[in-house]
Amino acid sequence: MNKTDKRSAQFYFSLLRIIAMLRGGDATRAESNGFEAWLVGLTIYSIHYLFFATLFIPSNLEPWQIALLLVAIAFWIWLFWLPLLYINSVIIQALHMCGLFRTIPIRRAQSTLWGTYTTAMAFALLKSSPSLRELGAIWLVAVAMNLASAVVLAFSDAARSPGA
Amino acid sequence: MLLRVWCVALNPQITQMNADYSEVKDQKSEIANSRQSADKNSSANFLDRFAVRGVFWRQYLDWATVNMPFYTYPVLHCFMTFFFFFFAAPARRIVLANLAIILPGSSRAVNYLRVFRTFYNYAWTISEAAIHKINKEEFAYEIIGAKWLDQLGAAQGAIVLTAHMGNYDLGAALFAEKFNREIRLVRAPEPDRQTAQHLSASLEKSGEGAVKVDYNTAGALLSFDLLNALRLGEIVSIQGDRMDGDLAEIPAHLFGRHVRLPNGPFVLAQVAHVPIYPLFIARSGYRSYQIIVREPITVLRSRRDREDDIAQAVEKWCRVLEQLIAERWDQWFAFAPGFLSDEQNR
Repeated sequence: MNKTDKRSAQFYFSLLRIIAMLRGGDATRAESNGFEAWLVGLTIYSIHYLFFATLFIPSNLEPWQIALLLVAIAFWIWLFWLPLLYINSVIIQALHMCGLFRTIPIRRAQSTLWGTYTTAMAFALLKSSPSLRELGAIWLVAVAMNLASAVVLAFSDAARSPGA
Repeated sequence: MLLRVWCVALNPQITQMNADYSEVKDQKSEIANSRQSADKNSSANFLDRFAVRGVFWRQYLDWATVNMPFYTYPVLHCFMTFFFFFFAAPARRIVLANLAIILPGSSRAVNYLRVFRTFYNYAWTISEAAIHKINKEEFAYEIIGAKWLDQLGAAQGAIVLTAHMGNYDLGAALFAEKFNREIRLVRAPEPDRQTAQHLSASLEKSGEGAVKVDYNTAGALLSFDLLNALRLGEIVSIQGDRMDGDLAEIPAHLFGRHVRLPNGPFVLAQVAHVPIYPLFIARSGYRSYQIIVREPITVLRSRRDREDDIAQAVEKWCRVLEQLIAERWDQWFAFAPGFLSDEQNR
């Protein structure tokens, strides 16, 4: 005999939460969705990767040098993210000291900063080649739709939960 | 001391158990002393904090749990796994050697990828335990063997025998929460003193006071303390898939190879007349777990040799363990040697 304790799909981002709400699902904020974590995580990683790749790789290099640099940048992003988390935490601490954003969890404040940096990088990608421009545009449209969804959810009781 | 006298007076069989443990008592105190002095020396060395099993990584994990947006975990775990795959060479070699035994005929190159997968699962496992402890996030879970888990929840004294598999730490906290019962975890000591302190504090915090941690080097009195707890109806959880330190051991066979397993849980079960519940917490997806409970093992007290009864129970445990490890080799976090070579077995 087996038992399960599985809840209906919940999401973190407003756009996905509003889609869930329109489909009769649960619109409360949660960090429990693996698909959402992978989708957003990989998209952010791709935008950062492409941003630094366009920034660091000159076009006059040999193909093998470009390949080497592309591999190095994959790891560079990781090394970039670690201090980025720390710098963000310092910024959040400073904001807390000024009495700002004290009621939201630190990781949500971090999320706002990550979103801001990624959006700036996506903007920069708009000036690159057409395929990269497309990815940048997709991110910007998603951010705009997410912000619009957040406004809708703010006026909706369905999405309210303690601490959400 | 009083506890010991009381235990001996209560049951003469304790004397036998006492002999088992007191044999190693002197050795243990020597080891404890040498560990303490080693710890003093090592704490002086700042760089030890950054060793693979140093406390820095545990503290960093706690910090990251508070700070990291949830969607950064998949990518960061991949890179952290790469990092430890290269730097935790002894653990990598042990897991590789284990895989060759668990999956006979498997290729060495593919097994390297399996080691990576095991490390990656470990990264998720410890980070999700930290998320449960710090962020108080809830996890989805499925119970396999619910009948036995309910039995265990209602048991007046029982031993939970588990392995270094899946999220053992999270499981104890979930169990304490679900059944509103106290549980005593007996763990192998961490090589780094600060890491051990950090882990104990984490486990106790995660269990919100319902989880008490004991280390199996705490001295011979631990066995009496555990026996007392079992007789008072408590649940004691012990990892029984390998020997750590100089404890009383029993030879056994896993995957056709010689291993030495701790005989403490079996002796305790026999003396305290309590069943042993094999229980494992396996990760089944993103913030999702399976609580796997197998049929309880009873250690008989026949008129035959006591060792025969224990050996029979150990044999049953080994079959359960073998089945679970074969199914979930990617979650068997055996980072210390377990299988014995023919030379070691002599």
